Amino acid sequence: MENIYSKIRNLAKSIKAQNLFVAAKEINGIRLFRNSFDFSKIQEIYLSYLYNYDSINRDIILEKISEHVFDSEIYEDSYILWKRKSNKKEKDNNQNDLKLVVGKKITFPTNKG
Amino acid sequence: MEERLKDAEKIVKDMEKENELSRVGELIKDNRIIFDYKDKKYRVRLLNLKEKEELDQLRRKKFGQLMKDKDILLEKDLINQYKERGVNIEELDDQLKKLNAEELDFQIKLGESISKNEIESILKNYKEQIEDLRIKKQILNTQKNLLLEFSLENSLLNYVAQVITYLSLEEQKEDKWQRMFDSLDSFQTYEDEGLINIAGSYSMLLQYI
Repeated sequence: MENIYSKIRNLAKSIKAQNLFVAAKEINGIRLFRNSFDFSKIQEIYLSYLYNYDSINRDIILEKISEHVFDSEIYEDSYILWKRKSNKKEKDNNQNDLKLVVGKKITFPTNKG
Repeated sequence: MEERLKDAEKIVKDMEKENELSRVGELIKDNRIIFDYKDKKYRVRLLNLKEKEELDQLRRKKFGQLMKDKDILLEKDLINQYKERGVNIEELDDQLKKLNAEELDFQIKLGESISKNEIESILKNYKEQIEDLRIKKQILNTQKNLLLEFSLENSLLNYVAQVITYLSLEEQKEDKWQRMFDSLDSFQTYEDEGLINIAGSYSMLLQYI
């Protein structure tokens, strides 16, 4: 049972698993598991890796990063962590911008005449 | 000739990798795991609602028993006892928190460097720093776990792992799956530890990790 996380990652990273994952997202009826609810812990972990590797693959296709990210699990995790953090920062900034618009004080010209 | 040998080695390696992936695939394809042991088929599965209630009852009962046992201390009391003897677990925790924060900082920097496609030597440097921190963390965690091995909380966790395995292990008899044990006592006194250990590892993959 050693390095079970690495083994789950390798499966989630594989071309076959990634193709199936993309197909399951797009085509109704394609399933990743035999069960469609009551997921086991190992299935939940596998799902989260599928999402992470899908995200990395998309960024490679868009040429945002190179395939070297796959050289090490530390690279993969660090990139995902940074991406999440910068996305959150961006989202927070957008929300702040929105607040500025909503809360903007509008002064109407007074008719003193 | 040498090239053909290299090709053959590569094919064997690829096959091994493929086999490894299929074995992991078997573990995740369903919320139950079937395995062979001494020419018999067994399986572990997720607990149903009734079994979860049974687990909860047994856990509460065990907690009550452990609380009455004066030889077993709660983690916080054990930490205080160690402190009196000059072993400071809170200091270990502080060091671990610091190392975690440092690791996170390096990970974010490394992630950013990857996003900027920076040169390999920069990435490698961050990676080595992270690896170094992980080794330090592992040493501290092992120390802490050894010190707290006999706490009430740990005893309860081990007991829960046992009960989960007891409740979820089934054997195949004439193409039907049947619960292997009808009582916790028969599970705990079962003579073949090999089977119990394998079933325990698999049931943890399903419910815990």
